[in-house]
Amino acid sequence: MLSNLTKNNLAIDMNNVWLSYDNINYVLNGITLSIKKSINYTIIGHSGSGKSTLLKIINGLLTPSKGTIKVFGIIPDHQNRKFKNLMKNIGYIPQSLGLVKNITVLDNVLIGALTRINKIKSFFKIVPDVEIDNAQNAIKMVGLEDKTEKKVFTLSGGEKRRVAIARALVQKPILLLADEIVSELDHVTSKEIMNLIIETQHKLNLTSVMIHHDIKLALDYADMISVLQKGQKILEIGVDGNTITEFDVTKNQLAKL
Amino acid sequence: MLNYKINLIIGLLITAIIYSYLNLNIEPLKFISGISNLLIIFQEIKNIEYSLLLIALTSMMETIQMAFLGTIFGSVIAFPLSIFASRNLTNKYLYLTTRCFLAVVRTFPSILWAILFVIVVGLGPFAGVLSITLYTIGFITKLQYESIEAIDFEIINNIRSIGISKLQLIRYVIIPESAPHLLSQLLYTFDYNVRHTSIMGLVGAGGIGFYIINYIKFFEYEKALIFMLVVLVTVIIIDLLSVKIRDNYIIKIIKSKK
Ligand SMILES: Nc1ncnc2c1ncn2[C@@H]1O[C@H](COP(=O)(O)OP(=O)(O)OP(=O)(O)O)[C@@H](O)[C@H]1O
Ligand SMILES: [Mg+2]
Repeated sequence: MLSNLTKNNLAIDMNNVWLSYDNINYVLNGITLSIKKSINYTIIGHSGSGKSTLLKIINGLLTPSKGTIKVFGIIPDHQNRKFKNLMKNIGYIPQSLGLVKNITVLDNVLIGALTRINKIKSFFKIVPDVEIDNAQNAIKMVGLEDKTEKKVFTLSGGEKRRVAIARALVQKPILLLADEIVSELDHVTSKEIMNLIIETQHKLNLTSVMIHHDIKLALDYADMISVLQKGQKILEIGVDGNTITEFDVTKNQLAKL
Repeated sequence: MLNYKINLIIGLLITAIIYSYLNLNIEPLKFISGISNLLIIFQEIKNIEYSLLLIALTSMMETIQMAFLGTIFGSVIAFPLSIFASRNLTNKYLYLTTRCFLAVVRTFPSILWAILFVIVVGLGPFAGVLSITLYTIGFITKLQYESIEAIDFEIINNIRSIGISKLQLIRYVIIPESAPHLLSQLLYTFDYNVRHTSIMGLVGAGGIGFYIINYIKFFEYEKALIFMLVVLVTVIIIDLLSVKIRDNYIIKIIKSKK
């Protein structure tokens, strides 16, 4: 009974997940994660440790070779009707951003709203005014209002990331997955973008799972951090109940990693 | 450093050249001694028949119109077909059926299709337009599905994970990402189609080729020449124009993407 209650509190419930791309080598080796609703959960780790792979399992782009995963109680499977419904509200910002370079910022952001728009009408670019407003608001939130009609390939790296964020926000997400969204950006811009995300996270009460390369950034913003090494979770800390004291201790430990 | 594999390939290539050469009775001397025959033709051309210029231009215009319509009709049909033929967008059955159809279309040169269409719809430009359309379908579809399949797999997957429909994916991702290529392909095809439509008249499918083949048949080289010159000038103009359009619009887009 009690365990059921805690399970209902989870956004992501991942149990002993293994993943192999080639059926020979495992990239993830038995990962277990319990991510509570409405928190910012951050994954850090060296290049190639399996962070992006883990995120793709959460949104169903990859299926675990072994183990189970549930996202808001539903198994991530793009063929499954229930999960298809949930997908609309999972904002995924991939490491490569996944933007369409030859269309405008506005059109890219509108893609996030397409699931709410009639298929045939959207084919002829007939989009309800409400959705245009939504998209324009999201663009304003990320501070790109003067680039609305610019083609994405003309934007800078930081601006492209903002477009990807705006597209995720327009999805009205309940879960935000962001893969190294501030890497390669200068310190000031990184902070701006992170602040924006945390702000919206509180406003919309959404759960976010993020990947960072920079430990300091993770420590500044995350409610919970886990460290991945060679496909294994070697450390998990959080500002949460008992672990709060442990947090300070590990801070120094982490800084040395 | 040459390794075993490269040696083998070069060996095979040389064998193929020698074999084909012998098998086809290639006689370079015959070519050199025969060149004088060509001179006879030029000797017969004493004055160009400018009186035929108007007819030549009118029939060139007809040729261009045929090529234009064929290019437009063909590419309109080619676009949906290229989506059916892209491995990353459709299921196996639709993809295989479309590829088979394309293989059939592309097997015969457009002049053969023109003969078939003359049988079906009779002599005249309509048969030519049909055959150019068919050629364009085969050509543009192939180029298009190749550029669709070259679209970054990651982008398609990532955007699909938002849960948008296939139709929306085509409209917002596939078309914009393959459109810069489409424009340049259309220009190239039109250019090619004008040249090919110029010989459609050989089989009675309309256009300027009809005059050329008839004058040559009756040894009226003087008359044929003016028509051939018109074709030559037209092809050069179209070539220059398409280079200009490509430089000004398309290269820019593709370059700035990188
Ligand atoms: N599509 C794929 N096919 C085969 N192997 C892959 C694929 N994607 C990732 N890998 C491998 O899986 C391992 C983990 O990759 P992943 O992208 O998850 O790492 P990461 O922690 O996100 O690294 P980075 O910080 O560099 O982004 C790597 O060794 C990588 O080579
Ligand atoms: Mg990664």
